[in-house]
Amino acid sequence: MRRRTADSTPIRDMAVTPHSRREFLWHYGGGLGGIALAHLLGEAGMLGGEPTPGTTRVSSGDGTAPANRPLQIGKFADPHHPARAKRVVQLFMSGAASQCDMFDYKPELIKRNGQPWDPGEKVELFQSSPGACMASPWGWKQYGQSGKWMSDLVPHLAGTVDEMTFVPSMVSKSNVHGPATFMQNTGFVLPGFPNMGAWVSYGLGTLNENLPTFVVLPDMRGFAPNGPGNWSSGFLPAVHQGTLIRPNSRNPIADLFPPETAHYINPTAEREGLSVLRELNNGHLKSRAADSRLEARITTYELAARLQLSAPEVLDITQETLATRELYGLDQKITADFGRNCLIARRLLERGVRFVQVWSGADNGFPRRNWDSHEDIARDHQEMGTSMDRPAAALIKDLKQRGLLDDTIVYWTTEFGRMPCSQGSKGRDHNPFGFTVWLAGGGVRGGVTYGASDEWSYRAVENPTYCYDIHATLLHLLGIDHERLTFRHNGIDRRLTDVHGQVIRELLA
Amino acid sequence: MARSAAAGDGGNWSAVASIFERNCVSCHQGDRPKGGLSLVNATQALRGGDSGTVIVPGRPDESLLLDLISGEMPEMPQKARPLPARQVAEIRRWIEQGAPWPENVTLTDRKLAGADDDWWCFRPLVRPEVPVVDSDWVRTPVDAFVLAKRQLLGLPKSPEADRRTLIRRLTYDLHGLPPTPNEVAEFLADTSPDAFDRLIDRLLDSRRYGERWGRHWLDVIHYGESHGYDKDKPRPNAWPYRDYVIAAFNDDKPYWRFVAEQLAGDVLYPDDWQGVVATGFIAAGPWDYVGHAELREGTLDKKITRSNDRDDMVATAATTFLSLTAHCARCHNHKFDPISQEDYYRLQAVFAGVDRADRPFDEDPATHRQRSQLLHERAPLAARQRLLAAKAAETVSPEIRQIDERIAGLRKELAPLGAKDERRAAFEKSLQEQLTAREAAVARSLDDATRNETEAVAARLSELEQQLSALGQPQWVYAGAHDFTPLMTFTPAVTPRPVFFLYRGSDQSPGREMEPGALSCLEKLPAVFELGNLQDEGARRAALAKWIIDPHNPLTCRSIVNRVWQYHFGRGIVETPNDFGHMGSKPTHPELLDWLAVEFAERGWSLKRLHKLILKSAVYRQSSQHDPAAAEIDAGNQYLWRMNRQRLEAEAIHDAVLAISGRLDLTMRGPSVRQFWFKDDHSPVYDYERFDIDSADARRRSVYRFIVRSVPDPFMECLDAADPSLLTPRRNTTLTALQALSLLNNRFMVRHAEHFATRVRAISQDPAEQVDAAYELALGRAPHTSEWQALVKYIDQHGLENACRLILNCNEFIFVD
Repeated sequence: MRRRTADSTPIRDMAVTPHSRREFLWHYGGGLGGIALAHLLGEAGMLGGEPTPGTTRVSSGDGTAPANRPLQIGKFADPHHPARAKRVVQLFMSGAASQCDMFDYKPELIKRNGQPWDPGEKVELFQSSPGACMASPWGWKQYGQSGKWMSDLVPHLAGTVDEMTFVPSMVSKSNVHGPATFMQNTGFVLPGFPNMGAWVSYGLGTLNENLPTFVVLPDMRGFAPNGPGNWSSGFLPAVHQGTLIRPNSRNPIADLFPPETAHYINPTAEREGLSVLRELNNGHLKSRAADSRLEARITTYELAARLQLSAPEVLDITQETLATRELYGLDQKITADFGRNCLIARRLLERGVRFVQVWSGADNGFPRRNWDSHEDIARDHQEMGTSMDRPAAALIKDLKQRGLLDDTIVYWTTEFGRMPCSQGSKGRDHNPFGFTVWLAGGGVRGGVTYGASDEWSYRAVENPTYCYDIHATLLHLLGIDHERLTFRHNGIDRRLTDVHGQVIRELLA
Repeated sequence: MARSAAAGDGGNWSAVASIFERNCVSCHQGDRPKGGLSLVNATQALRGGDSGTVIVPGRPDESLLLDLISGEMPEMPQKARPLPARQVAEIRRWIEQGAPWPENVTLTDRKLAGADDDWWCFRPLVRPEVPVVDSDWVRTPVDAFVLAKRQLLGLPKSPEADRRTLIRRLTYDLHGLPPTPNEVAEFLADTSPDAFDRLIDRLLDSRRYGERWGRHWLDVIHYGESHGYDKDKPRPNAWPYRDYVIAAFNDDKPYWRFVAEQLAGDVLYPDDWQGVVATGFIAAGPWDYVGHAELREGTLDKKITRSNDRDDMVATAATTFLSLTAHCARCHNHKFDPISQEDYYRLQAVFAGVDRADRPFDEDPATHRQRSQLLHERAPLAARQRLLAAKAAETVSPEIRQIDERIAGLRKELAPLGAKDERRAAFEKSLQEQLTAREAAVARSLDDATRNETEAVAARLSELEQQLSALGQPQWVYAGAHDFTPLMTFTPAVTPRPVFFLYRGSDQSPGREMEPGALSCLEKLPAVFELGNLQDEGARRAALAKWIIDPHNPLTCRSIVNRVWQYHFGRGIVETPNDFGHMGSKPTHPELLDWLAVEFAERGWSLKRLHKLILKSAVYRQSSQHDPAAAEIDAGNQYLWRMNRQRLEAEAIHDAVLAISGRLDLTMRGPSVRQFWFKDDHSPVYDYERFDIDSADARRRSVYRFIVRSVPDPFMECLDAADPSLLTPRRNTTLTALQALSLLNNRFMVRHAEHFATRVRAISQDPAEQVDAAYELALGRAPHTSEWQALVKYIDQHGLENACRLILNCNEFIFVD
């Protein structure tokens, strides 16, 4: 039997006193169950939040798994090759963030601003007919040793360009938000496929059994197109699905604690109740030999108790210094939400969560609450860009100063880009032919650009890259061969990268 | 790169090229072709091989090729089945015509995987002999098959389960609900030898059966009630299909008819409203609202949207009815099974004229018939009107241009005015006048014929509308539709849209247009449908339905029989119910599968009879207890030496909690209950936390839940309910910490633990008796002494609610032996 222990480095520093833990439990939904279990597990030496020897057994629960197989051990507990990274944080800009207003500097576009735009081919746009050339409303400067051009919309990210690799030659198979968002998340334009985080969970398993392996922090204003379908485990077992955390809500994790209305569930009732439950289940088990699922299910109640202990602690950002909170922009209204989610992402990562997805941008409603700036790029991207810039840069800096950037990949993406020509007079339409993503940390080269778009920032012309290649590269950095991470479903050995994908060697440090 | 010749035209060359590519080129190509003969291009083919010339253009009788491939024991193709006579005739005709082989056309090897190996699922269905086994354990032929296999492997059998276990197992199996304490007591008291058989009959006669088994069907076909993707709009009229499915199971509709109605009920049974509702099958899956309704006609992304939509229809039909993965042949021939890319696109062509939309129907047969006839006439006229309107919209004349300027001017004046500005009325009146004037001007600028036609069409349409509205309001179902109210750029096809063979599955690389058809690997069934009128989209679907239910199709009955077996035992005779191909599992009991399929077909395709065949067996009655000796031989219990213990599905847990707490409302049918807060925004919002758990809508069986694709119910999802974006022939069953938290803390669970306690308290105020009552209700048995003691003590200290919550978290509640 293989066992995994929690990643021990960062957790010890973060131990909290019983007193503060109690407070958080109360704070997050009247969590008496957690307190009761803290006691229960304390007796058993299984307190959450601390590195635990691999004492917990769980099963994949499909009934076919060999007895006592640990649940959270991935399919490839031994990687295909040495891993450069252990964790990934993905920042997803929903609605299509404009490459030519942040990262993809084009002097030609500035020069021809307002002139008719003629890329020399018929252009098929999502909503509109192509308008005139439209220079970015923001100015551009060069930054860092790499001399990377960045717009004034992202001054903080401009300060970390030497950590980042830019891919301005991205292309998408769809110019419709729904399918394109699926594609960036799952590699397929159709619903029903597992998110990359679910694949990573399936492939590598957990680093800390007290927390979920794959966590999703949505934009507090709502879900992006496709909703939670974006972080589905698809056909993979449900344990690999993204666990939704909404730090600003009353119940940040659904059902972590009983509803407040259930007054009769007090600490003693919970503690003694769970001990009775264990007794009943053990009695049931005794007359039903050799069914690992029954034991596994008993264990899930212990795991649940540990999650009750660990989760509130992770979400408690009051433990962070003022300087750290300011770094992420928690002191300003515009950056506070995304900043808090980025900070919580860091706290999750340092406690061993494998894959964290942080969303900037909600649904395609009005007034605009995501990056889909058809009407007015200056107005709408100003708000989205500013809310994202400082927290995203803070995440890179903070991970670096804690020594976590070496084995944590920061991956910034969006479903497609925006056109260099205008829509109406001030907006930009969808552009699936060329957009930018960037990566940092975890074995990724810093200060380089891979591929290029044409002189307009319209079409990827050098090294056109699909998400397949990015996904293959990310899996490679995590020690996984993307062609060997497969799951049989409906007659096909499914992969994150479908039948495509090449590791981009140029991105590797 | 030279493209496959199948795209070329002229005579029957394309058919011949296809025969060569699939049967010959794999050997006859390259630097050292077999027999020195290469069939990749005209020069080499006509030059011949080691035996000299093989093709003499215009002279079939002198062409060696025909000798090689015909006769009793043809020499070619080697190590493969002989070519069918019609293919030989095709080649003969081609040679007669001078063997035209277009210049520069190079053939490539497109041999179909698995075409020659006589794979089990394609074999004709023949009734196998029931094995002769000497054992009084055997109750039915099913047992004989299972026992024969077990004896072969030296596996023991398990004892019969006790009667409490049997009634609990059977009731969950057929109803998805626990037996009531009374039902348990009655069954225990019934000592007659046929008590269990009568219990089977009683449960199959109950309407609860259709609710349970209908839900299985909805898994298989990925039924959902919102579109999915971006702007996930609800489908308020999807539910009549759900009710149709439940009724079909309850009424034991013959499976052949069930299949036919779902694909083409509107065409095959035009006088039966259920025929329309049944095509909800075609519309069940996700639909890309933005792609269909917002993208402009003629764009590449619109084409891709439609391709994906048809792909879903093909994948659903082929996996559901045939248990084959035809969708794997979208980009290339199937890698493992004899399914060509052409087969795949022929299947797409079946669905070339059908979309997903609301359709009217009337339960009154006469009204239904009348409305159908009127709609049938209206559809082409409405399409013609759209075309004429588009033509008119493009019309310009100096007069129209002047009016347009005036309209623009008025709009400019109106724009800055507030809603209550008193100047508005005058401007609006002028604007209306100009718009009317514009219509008249457009009419004047049209030529006489167009104008007359426009008027005639409008007049007839208005008559039809009047007649339609005279019929009263119809009911609506979200279903497969070729005639529907346009929504932005989403308009009916009217006649089937052309479907092309797509190289690498790409809409940017279309080849030749495809005719509707099905798979070419079933010998007695045609691959291309012979249709009188290709413009009739309904005829295409009807042809596919007939192809699937044809008695010569061995897949259909094997497929459904295996599914039914799977739900009874937790695993099918074939473990991969949607894939009988080479990548799927092989049947553990192939003879039993075929025997059941033949019985099923001969007994009128009745599912209820099939259930009885299976449930009345001794195999089904076995205990689920472990046996180390048997496990040594067959740890996975593939050969059924015991019953499989099963974890309850999400719906069964949900419904059982309602039943046990006394809150279950057994109302059937009707619009789905929305167990969420809903806001119909630009992008709709679904919020489950804001649903009132005490409302009447919370009490219905879960099959009546409104199923949202983008935001699934977190409680049900956590318990592995089917994701309606996926075809789910078999659910994952997982055990996770989040599940434990849900069952402990979800407000549905907590609230119903309270109702459960109230119900128990009404039976007795005494904790000692309360434990007994709670156990009988939830687990169908009396508690053991140790259980009883622990719970009585717990109730004393922490109250009945807490105790009831525990019982609903027990393994014994969640698993069925």
